[in-house]
Amino acid sequence: MDDPVVDSFPQDQDNDSKTIMVGSGVRLEGRIDGAQNADVAGTLSGTLKSSTINIDSTGNFSGDMSGNDITISGQVEGDISSENYLTVNQSATVKGTIEYASLQVSYGAKIQGTLRHRGSVHSYSPEPVEQPTENDQVSE
Amino acid sequence: MSIFGSNEKKAEETTTYFFNADKDTVNQSTLAKDIKIHGSVEAKDYIEFSGSITGTLKSSTVNLKPSSYVKGTVTGDTVTVEGEVDGDIQAKDVYIKSTAKIKGTIRYTNIDIQNGSIINADLFYSS
Repeated sequence: MDDPVVDSFPQDQDNDSKTIMVGSGVRLEGRIDGAQNADVAGTLSGTLKSSTINIDSTGNFSGDMSGNDITISGQVEGDISSENYLTVNQSATVKGTIEYASLQVSYGAKIQGTLRHRGSVHSYSPEPVEQPTENDQVSE
Repeated sequence: MSIFGSNEKKAEETTTYFFNADKDTVNQSTLAKDIKIHGSVEAKDYIEFSGSITGTLKSSTVNLKPSSYVKGTVTGDTVTVEGEVDGDIQAKDVYIKSTAKIKGTIRYTNIDIQNGSIINADLFYSS
């Protein structure tokens, strides 16, 4: 039936159960929604929505992630959307589009892609209108 | 202090300034707040830039102070941005401070970004 889509992040602080952990060596694919905390030390591919996201140095994420506070120490390929603090540590490798409000990148981190600041003149709506480019190449 | 006359309101023509480096001393070129340049500035060791430039800045170390505005290209081994850049930044080490506003392209080997900076740019990493 109706699939309730959580489009705001849960704010209740006391609920420890809204935590998803992907341990080192574990591989998980799919869509995660409505989490308060997400801790990825293994491999996760898919869509991840969580208030707080932490990609450990052993973690590997591919897909789309969105959250308030995001910390990346591992490998990420895909789109990152952070509504508050985004921290990219020295050991991190990030490929993709990053939308952020407040960004801190440590010396040594590797970022390949596009940075977009939320609230800028050039900010983007949550559902960006796709713009055709001259060399339009759709890679899946 | 400006090394150019402070009553120079605006450089109307495209001009190229060269700061010839002496081998034995560290050369520091400081371009003050009220200076406006259309053209290119090139130095061997160090440029501290507080003014406004449309064109290119090139030096081993480029320090763009909070009041600076660059429309064009900044090239160096180490580039520190505290001001506004609209264009390309290319350096081995790029330091982006909290007051920085950057639009364009950043090509780097090492990058360090502080909270508060506003960056709308494409980042290219190369080792």
